[in-house]
Amino acid sequence: MGALTDKYCIVGVGETPQMRPSNRTTLSMACEAIRNAMADAGLEPSDIDGMTSYQVADSTSSAHVATALGMRLNYCLDIFGGGSSTEALVAHAIGLIEAGYAKTIVCFRSMNGRSGRRMGGQIPGGPIPAANAEGDNQFNMGWGWTTPAQRFGMSAMRYLRDTGCTTKAFAEIAVAHRYHATLNPKAIYRSPITIEDHQRSRWVVKPFRLLDCCTETDVSAALIVTSRERAYDLRHPPVFIMGGYARTMTESPQWNYSRPVIHRVAGNYGWKRAFGMAGITHQEVDFVSCYDAFTFTTLIQLEANGFCGPGEAGEFVKGGRLQIDHELPSNLSGGHLSEGYTHGVQMVIENVRQLRHRADDACPGAREGKHSYDRSKGCRQVKKARICCGMAWGWENMASCLILRGMAA
Amino acid sequence: MAVTIDYSKLRILPDSDSREWWEATRQRKYLVRQCNRCGHKWFPPNIPACRKCASMDIGWFETAGKGVIHSYVVVVQPIVGAFIGAVPYVVAVIELDDCREEDGTVTRVAGVMTNDEAEVAIGLPCSVVFEETNDPKIVMPRWQIIGSGANTWKFTE
Repeated sequence: MGALTDKYCIVGVGETPQMRPSNRTTLSMACEAIRNAMADAGLEPSDIDGMTSYQVADSTSSAHVATALGMRLNYCLDIFGGGSSTEALVAHAIGLIEAGYAKTIVCFRSMNGRSGRRMGGQIPGGPIPAANAEGDNQFNMGWGWTTPAQRFGMSAMRYLRDTGCTTKAFAEIAVAHRYHATLNPKAIYRSPITIEDHQRSRWVVKPFRLLDCCTETDVSAALIVTSRERAYDLRHPPVFIMGGYARTMTESPQWNYSRPVIHRVAGNYGWKRAFGMAGITHQEVDFVSCYDAFTFTTLIQLEANGFCGPGEAGEFVKGGRLQIDHELPSNLSGGHLSEGYTHGVQMVIENVRQLRHRADDACPGAREGKHSYDRSKGCRQVKKARICCGMAWGWENMASCLILRGMAA
Repeated sequence: MAVTIDYSKLRILPDSDSREWWEATRQRKYLVRQCNRCGHKWFPPNIPACRKCASMDIGWFETAGKGVIHSYVVVVQPIVGAFIGAVPYVVAVIELDDCREEDGTVTRVAGVMTNDEAEVAIGLPCSVVFEETNDPKIVMPRWQIIGSGANTWKFTE
């Protein structure tokens, strides 16, 4: 970005509760999330003139939401995309506003990810009873190898072999993210877990256990992007967009498994761009979010984005390094593993709240930015929360990133 | 140990890019795509152009169907209905012996191997076998271990 660094801001964030099941339409949930984001920013529907969303043929559209909420849009687009799309839609918003296509853009995701279409392709009640295998599915469904857990497990297994890392490193991530969820009243899973709990949980697909996998959720989440000049007049101090990369791919993205190193994931190709735009080093990052569809996806992205060297992530995460009050807190809301699976939006939302110093925790003064930092009383605000790096995963071969800066701490 | 797959719950639908590949498995041949211009080989066969030279003048290379296990997973919770009675089963990525190119490019394919995780390790040699399904038009390739290897690696809990 360079010249555009700090010129655009995230000014509003909002979501529905994390539900299992919602018993609601994706349109109804999207309207609620966007109303909450507008209220958070201090904006009215008439202030919003752009809307984008992403989905995998499982959701409502911008046109439906604009109709329901009485918005007249200068720009709308609903893209086909999953993980790593949030940050890409923020990148789109920056370009659109810079070029004059719109002024203030809301980006949303709305999904019945547990009670409707599940990411593994299974029906709400369990396995797919019978299926046609066409297109790419000709070459994976026939050998029972379709779900994200089954696919990413293949890269994870080779990673374990190549690096000597063990599943105890996966456990460190499950434990850290769960600990943060214990401090988040919105999270679905709020009981603390131990390394041993992780190691004892049932197998889904080796090398992944149940506690390596995220929590399928019915939810909608939204955020609002506008320019710095407009942001100053809104309700909260702006959170500035310093840099990023958006849906960056490796070579041969559609068939990962003939690449020289199948766990050399897309973040390797993007992070120099993001840190270059932001003009910062890794040492200046106070906390991270790291797309945890699985524990392994967090682990591998930390090294892909240069927080440690190749093969070092297992050592890097040891001893609770990713927990609040330690060196590099990760996924402070509990992430997809424990708070709920939002296809990535919620990680950006939590980062925004942290950078405003307004984590919505149990502290009575949280809304005014007053926090006790006492974890035993449910405070989950990071003390020094000035810069965060959000890393997002689509699959091994696609990733996004968003480096944000706050004014509050 | 053979994996019992209920093919009545799985219907493979070949398309214009993949039809010849499925025809070849009926003749017990394991093909990969090959570029007629630069010789590059690849899998899966439904990718209709050569990523090295972007040519669409492409054909087939008949492999010997032998390779080495590059990685694997053990599916414990079934998702695809045809595999409900098959768990646990091993799916492996196999690096084909006769598709290594001068610049280091390799071709890796994937397939089901066995119910017995104990048989499987990264680095073991394996070969393709062909299994008839309830659909006479579809013969499914599977993979089996054919020996021992040096420097093998096995997942341990």
